[in-house]
Amino acid sequence: MIRFDGAAKRHPDGTIAVEGLDLDIPAGRTTVLVGPSGCGKTTILRMVNRMVEPTAGRVLLDGTDVAELPAAKLRRGIGYVIQQAGLFPHRRVIDNIATVPYLLGWDRKKARARAAELLELVGLAPELAKRYPFQLSGGQQQRVGVARALAADPPVLLMDEPFSAVDPVVRAGLQDELLRLQSELNKTVLFVTHDIEEAVRLGDQVVVLREHGHIAQLSDPHTLLTEPADDGVAAFLGRDRGLRGLGLLPARDIAVRPLTDGTRQGGWELRLDAGGRPTGWVEPGLHAQPRPAPAFHPGVDTLRTALDAAILSPAGAAVALDKDGRATGIATREAILAALTGPQPAASKPDSPKPDDPKAGSPNPDSPEGQDERPVNSHGR
Amino acid sequence: MDGEPLVRWYWIGDHLAYLRDLTLDHAVIALVPVLIALLIAVPLGLACVRFPRLYHPLSAVFNVVYALPSLAVFVVLIPYTGLATRATVMVPLTFYALAVLLPTTVDGLRSVPDSVRQAATAMGYGPWHRLSAVELPAAVPYLVAGLRVAAVSSISLAAVGALIGRGGLGYLFIDGFQRTFPTPIVSGIVLVAALALVTDLLLVLARRLLAPWAVRAGAAR
Amino acid sequence: MNWINWLNTFFTAPARQSGPDSIAHRVGEHLVLSGQGLLYAAVLAIPLGLLIGYTGRGAVAVTALTGVARALPTLGLVTLAVLIAGVGDTAILLPLVALAAPPLLVATVEGIRGTDPELRDAALGTGLTHRQVLFQVCLPLALPALLAGLRTAAVQVIATATVAAYVGLGGLGRYVIDGLATRDFAATLGGALLVVLLAVATQLLFAVLIRYALPRGVRAQRAAAVETGRSS
Repeated sequence: MIRFDGAAKRHPDGTIAVEGLDLDIPAGRTTVLVGPSGCGKTTILRMVNRMVEPTAGRVLLDGTDVAELPAAKLRRGIGYVIQQAGLFPHRRVIDNIATVPYLLGWDRKKARARAAELLELVGLAPELAKRYPFQLSGGQQQRVGVARALAADPPVLLMDEPFSAVDPVVRAGLQDELLRLQSELNKTVLFVTHDIEEAVRLGDQVVVLREHGHIAQLSDPHTLLTEPADDGVAAFLGRDRGLRGLGLLPARDIAVRPLTDGTRQGGWELRLDAGGRPTGWVEPGLHAQPRPAPAFHPGVDTLRTALDAAILSPAGAAVALDKDGRATGIATREAILAALTGPQPAASKPDSPKPDDPKAGSPNPDSPEGQDERPVNSHGR
Repeated sequence: MDGEPLVRWYWIGDHLAYLRDLTLDHAVIALVPVLIALLIAVPLGLACVRFPRLYHPLSAVFNVVYALPSLAVFVVLIPYTGLATRATVMVPLTFYALAVLLPTTVDGLRSVPDSVRQAATAMGYGPWHRLSAVELPAAVPYLVAGLRVAAVSSISLAAVGALIGRGGLGYLFIDGFQRTFPTPIVSGIVLVAALALVTDLLLVLARRLLAPWAVRAGAAR
Repeated sequence: MNWINWLNTFFTAPARQSGPDSIAHRVGEHLVLSGQGLLYAAVLAIPLGLLIGYTGRGAVAVTALTGVARALPTLGLVTLAVLIAGVGDTAILLPLVALAAPPLLVATVEGIRGTDPELRDAALGTGLTHRQVLFQVCLPLALPALLAGLRTAAVQVIATATVAAYVGLGGLGRYVIDGLATRDFAATLGGALLVVLLAVATQLLFAVLIRYALPRGVRAQRAAAVETGRSS
């Protein structure tokens, strides 16, 4: 875990970058720092690996003040990914990835074997290993940058606007890749971005910053979108933040009705094949051809996909599938919208969240819809 | 040189007019070639930008010329321009200056962003008109930067001409060496350096006047 | 007389074939003198340039120093050095190094300073020490600029070594100076031609070095040509 304990950075010319920051970054989760340029988010990130030394306060990594560790040694244990990937142009991809293993004194063969593993892990073809960085696309370079950061299997990953220099389509692919990697690796990720969509998409915990590194809101993405702490945060989130949640929030948050509670929905019945895969909706008693049954994967898709499926379905509900394509349940339009809007109406708005409590500001469990309507662990990514 | 001090001030006092004449002669020998080179470099640079195929062989030739030791080039010209004439020194200096000025002119002309170039074309500028109205002004800071390098180099190179009998202040080095008398040599070094630095300063001022929009761009050599 | 006669006279003279005034001997002298000057200039300028380029401290002073050095007349430095220290290799090394080191210094500084700050940041953040960043990242990337500086310095020492014949040193300038003194134009022109050939050969050598001696990933990037000017 990373803890900022009154950490501050004042530049020699007297300007303040960060002022007295208290913040906990939980282990094994992704925390995103988001805010306008000049809010100090990059400074905060760079305090962790001592690229910036705080002028007051401390930064603790698993209880140890990072200032007590030799900088180079500390950094070899922390992955670091920056905007333009920062690959060494004179080294081949494989040797770029193996940078930290070489620094740690691994022998060449072992380091390269490890680098080859990582190349595959980040979804790059093995034949890219021999290329030079200038022979890769921007997206590929960024993947190599992530692979290099992961090479020595550091528990902590610092990512400073890593995807902001690539086009939106590539960026979405890289974000998916990071989510997939993180679900396998469970690193402590500290991610800086100025893009609120990216923050909400990637973060288990999102920290919205104002100038001088003051925390405007700290919460999970769902709460951030549905219950911004104040007008400033709401303005930063943008006017269509309500709808935007559709494309950002995971479909796993939908309260899916298990098939064991029946396969009927609004006068239609879901038909399954022998393997449990949906074949279509039929109206009982009528011997018409089954109508298609649009579906979604709760673990993969966003609310948008689910809602689209539900709108296209004759029964007004989408089918939830497991990863083998077997139907697990039915999600009505209402259930999907409920996942978008959160508990409604909020019985009592929680006070503005305390910075050192990541749970602060999460949906109120005492809301009228009740516990059983809501997913048990809405953000266990 | 036993006991002989580096500078005997009375000698300088006795030869002020002489030193002034040498300095003026030196300035002419060194700087006229730079001016001629400028007059050639601008049209040649424009042609190189307009017809890019011209530039590569030209720059290759000038690269080689630039690397030739001046004494050897002076000497090779003697059969054509004569011993101890100004032309024998000034012709090579023109080529050296051109070797510096042509690439800086071309870089300067090419420094205009594509968007500006296309906007100019879209507003109806023809290729030559656009070069003179848009690209040439943009090249001024580059030209001045090139002129600074060329002029300073030319001033110090011209002194070598003394070895073939025409080197302005360079004559002081021959004189001092032959008489084992360092005062003229020291005076010559100081005057050459001073002439170079004054010229450099004037060029910096010229850029302020000619291209007030580009205070920083002059750093792009 | 024409060029063919002059050159024929020069190259076929018995004194050119063997002995202290032979072409082989004079070329050797010229190469040793230039090589020494280049070596000392490199030993002085490259480490200093790496340090200044990496820390950024003193970079302004380097620019000013180069401006002044460019304004110094070769012949003046050579004659003054010999008057002070007497004829000999040590005396001549002073002006050789004084004229060759500044362009090399500024090229090294600019080469190191020209490496992408983001890249240095990434290297440091990945856990390289400053020394490792300088030698494993900045230096390989600055090689094109460094070689360009070395080329300028080589051009400079070859020219200075030619002028050095005036104060009594060996090398190809000997033919030129002696020829001028004795009105032996065959020797003057032959010597000048040899100097030209040596300079062109050096340029070719550096062109080959720059083309082939660089890491592939660096060669792909455009070498930032550092134009530094010369004075001889």
